[in-house]
Amino acid sequence: MILEVLKVTKTFALGAERVTALQDLELALAEGDFVTVIGSNGAGKTTLLNVIAGTCRPDRGQIKLAGRDVTHWPAHRRAHLIGRVFQDPLQGTAAQMTVAENLALAAKKGRRGLAPLLTARRRKALEEIVASLEMGLERRLSEKVAHLSGGERQALTVLMAVFTHPKLLLLDEHTAALDPANAEKVLTITEKLVAEHCLTTLMVTHRMDQALAVGNRLIMMHKGRVVLDLEGREKQQLRVEDLVGLFRKVGIADDGLLLASDVDKGNGMMAEKAKKLAHLL
Amino acid sequence: MLFLHAAEQGLIYGLMALGVYLSFRVLAFPDLSVDGTFPLGAAVAGILILRGANPAVAMLAGGGAGLVAGAFTGVLATRLRIPGLLAGVLTMIMLYSLNLRIMGRPNLSLLGKPSALLTLARTLGIPRTYETLVAAAILCLATGILLLLFLHTELGGAMRAVGQNPQLVRTLGTNPDHLLVLGLALSNALVGFSGALAAQYSGFADVGMGVGTIIAGLASVIVGEILMRPRSLLLAVVAAVVGSVVYRLAISIALRYGAALGFTASDLRLLTALVVLGALAAPAFRAALKGENL
Repeated sequence: MILEVLKVTKTFALGAERVTALQDLELALAEGDFVTVIGSNGAGKTTLLNVIAGTCRPDRGQIKLAGRDVTHWPAHRRAHLIGRVFQDPLQGTAAQMTVAENLALAAKKGRRGLAPLLTARRRKALEEIVASLEMGLERRLSEKVAHLSGGERQALTVLMAVFTHPKLLLLDEHTAALDPANAEKVLTITEKLVAEHCLTTLMVTHRMDQALAVGNRLIMMHKGRVVLDLEGREKQQLRVEDLVGLFRKVGIADDGLLLASDVDKGNGMMAEKAKKLAHLL
Repeated sequence: MLFLHAAEQGLIYGLMALGVYLSFRVLAFPDLSVDGTFPLGAAVAGILILRGANPAVAMLAGGGAGLVAGAFTGVLATRLRIPGLLAGVLTMIMLYSLNLRIMGRPNLSLLGKPSALLTLARTLGIPRTYETLVAAAILCLATGILLLLFLHTELGGAMRAVGQNPQLVRTLGTNPDHLLVLGLALSNALVGFSGALAAQYSGFADVGMGVGTIIAGLASVIVGEILMRPRSLLLAVVAAVVGSVVYRLAISIALRYGAALGFTASDLRLLTALVVLGALAAPAFRAALKGENL
């Protein structure tokens, strides 16, 4: 197993109340797994990624990465094993640094010596790597990332997260902030890069169509637990309608409307269907 | 002579401006400890020179003291999670007492003592009138080049990223807190070194000489940016020093001719703060002029 999440619990204080984000959560990812994660708001999806990445400490439980117990590793140490892309394209790059400098920072992950960040040789290598995005960024290596569009920036971020061959790739709704065309493009690039680098991937998404179309395994989270875990053929045969039904089955009755609005963010046509279903429910 | 003195001062304080550029612009950390580390450098260098140390060694010791104090501010801001401005203020206040302890009295006279700048100038055989100017320019140039080279290393590049996106640095496997501590240490090393030079230049170290250092540093960085609109790191570093020279020149002129307008030397800090305020508020004013809401 590349990733093992063992009986992890995390609660947050919300005013006087305590909110349980993860409840004795168990999850294991085999090498090469591409798992999509869905669930309503507050189901604990992002907390799960944070606990794995180490930006948030679990109250109880254990995290194992590539066979090592990393529960007490700080985030920057785990980052040597993990690539991560956030929802906000601004979060994944340094805006006032050039495309080449950003890539070089990622290439030199964690190694921060007094050698030059960019040499002619490294620049050449990075040029080839960035050309694989087929966005023309190889001709804009010296441009500041601030001048790139949201889609270009997020594609660059995905590349920065994967080309160092991390053991695990975490994608946190990484296409949600993009317009539909760019979201599609970034998702295609993600799939291509994940396949090329044979990466084990955990992708949180709001879009049920995306969760179904991508990856070999799908999990649904609810109130801090995994309530559905489908793989292979079972996942392939699943449709959006089935998912809506499953949401209902696990007792997210109040989420009918929420579900509709969730889907709305992603896909207009799907939203129609979901709204209809929500009324029926 | 007015211009010459202003240029000399501008270059000596230019090293301080480079330090403020590093903390304020590169790390995006408004570091008030410089008001304490500037006289700290002066105090350490001053006491060493009075005890017969080589002035060059005394300068480096002044920078070293700034380095330690800057790292201290960094640790307060990261390990102890004290808000950055407060961390700087705490260091500054502590240094006020510490500087008095180091000097043993509020003021040290260094008149007639050997000077590092003049020794450097005489070794190079520079004409007497310009020896301070040229020696200070050489120091500024060398420091600027070192700073630029550093900012283009893996370490320096990561440091620049800390100021723009600390989360990214963490995601890329480096603890941004470590880089912040290191950056503040380097920044205050420059400020301490500048304070040591200033003490030798003016012939005294005084416990009150640091008041307003941060404002002068910010004014230099901002004036330089307004004049040069730097688009590269190279130009940004040059702009900080140019800004420092222009700032000292403006002050000299204000002191010389301000009296006619009713200003006195005691109004200096008010005027400087107004310059910085105006520059920092410029984007908001510009937006207001274009009819956007503030």
